[in-house]
Amino acid sequence: MTVLLELQSVSAGYGFHLVIRDVSLTVENGQLVALIGPNGHGKTTLLRVISGLIKPQRGVINFAGHRIDHLRPDEIVEAGIVHVPQGDLLFPDMTVLENLRMGAYPRNAAKQEPQRLEEVFALLPKLKERRHQLASTLSGGERRMASIGRGLMAGGRILILDEPSLGLAPIVIEQIYEVIRRLRQSGRSILIVEENVTRIAEIADVLHLLDNGQFVWSGRSSELLSRPELLLTYFGG
Amino acid sequence: MMDVLVQVIASGLTLGAMYAISTVGLTLVYGSLNMLNMAYGALLALGGYICLYVMTSLGLPAIVGAVAAMVGCGFVGLLIYHLAARPMLSSGNFETQIFIATIGIGAVLENVILRVFGPQPVAQPLTLTGAIVIGKVHVPTQNIFILAAAFVMMGMIAFLLGSTRAGRAIRATAQNRDAAQLMGVRIGRIYAGVLALSGALAAISGIMISSLSGLLPNMGGDPMLKAFVICVVAGLGNVYGAVTAAILLGLLEAGAEYLLGVQYSFAVLLVLVIGVLIWRPYGLFGRKQVVRL
Repeated sequence: MTVLLELQSVSAGYGFHLVIRDVSLTVENGQLVALIGPNGHGKTTLLRVISGLIKPQRGVINFAGHRIDHLRPDEIVEAGIVHVPQGDLLFPDMTVLENLRMGAYPRNAAKQEPQRLEEVFALLPKLKERRHQLASTLSGGERRMASIGRGLMAGGRILILDEPSLGLAPIVIEQIYEVIRRLRQSGRSILIVEENVTRIAEIADVLHLLDNGQFVWSGRSSELLSRPELLLTYFGG
Repeated sequence: MMDVLVQVIASGLTLGAMYAISTVGLTLVYGSLNMLNMAYGALLALGGYICLYVMTSLGLPAIVGAVAAMVGCGFVGLLIYHLAARPMLSSGNFETQIFIATIGIGAVLENVILRVFGPQPVAQPLTLTGAIVIGKVHVPTQNIFILAAAFVMMGMIAFLLGSTRAGRAIRATAQNRDAAQLMGVRIGRIYAGVLALSGALAAISGIMISSLSGLLPNMGGDPMLKAFVICVVAGLGNVYGAVTAAILLGLLEAGAEYLLGVQYSFAVLLVLVIGVLIWRPYGLFGRKQVVRL
């Protein structure tokens, strides 16, 4: 397996306040890597550093053999990193279709827009039904699907998902996870932040536990499930 | 009675069309950058004066004057972005800082104009003579021309925002800055482009206004204030609402001028703003706390 995304001793934060400290991480081609840990401990910040919305204060980020930590967010998207943000961040006054088309905004994605749209509609048929509706009128689950669909429109070599199950009803979470499973089967590399440990442990190759801005534990799912004291400390059992 | 109505509607539509152009320039910038451009009034005057200079001192045709004004003001818009807005963007206090900075830029621009062209009022050479007669009412050709030019500009803006790649990127940036960046939109370019476009619109609007009321270095203050009023009534950052509100307020102003007298027309507008702010603080066409294009 080749390393696709690599963080070496990355520290970042806002002003003098470091939110993540000395974090190293690799995602290999086709892997699903999960970041877990309590709220407010830097998981979202770490993702925003990778996609260039926040510049790291120290450390190196490599993607597909190239250094990317000094690039602008638009250059990082063009390089093939797609970030589906927490809270969806849809464009509220655009239709679902316009939102999806914005996903194919990068030059290299624009060429493949029609066939990507077919693929996204095949994977998320609900979006096809709702395509002429304004994004602000969608239900929570539909929004999440639109947000993931919009990310898939960019193509990309790695998909970053920030809490895809946040705030959804269990039945909708099940649908979203089915989509993630299918993406994984199709060989896509995924970096995911998730609060729901038992659910993500079922499908992740590697998990990293982020506490107070640092990785306190990393390993495979099976190893995590055999560490009841970790689960108890961080997730209340 | 019929004739009066035609007269009021004709002048109201002309006013509204002029206001629409200047308001769109202002609201585009607010919608995408959260920036109130207080130098906008000075840009209106600058556009009018560039047109004057190109037509009288250089003796070139009107269309060259108009294009030169658009290019010149667009360039000043770019300068405002690169010299003032961009260095402040990452600051937590961007909205206040840029508000004050652009007041300063506006004062400098107005004084440069004063220095170069002098304080005396000058007539705008880009005017059409003659009138079209509807019933017993003479509608000046100039007004018809302004109306037509405004509609063409609005059509171009609507096409830009609705049907082009750059327009989609502008709307995306206005609706969600972070998400737009994650879609690969280079927002620095969008900001620069929007400020340049806003400058060009200010130039057109300045030429239109000065063709009716003449050129003065501080001529932009009153139209800018009215454009702000219209922005607030429509909901800041809402382009289509701004056009509708501009036309409605133009008609209202013409009606108030006829019924109450010229001295009350601005007071009527301000009463309306106060009413809107109490009743719908986010504007007639705005949604709560949502900036949109």
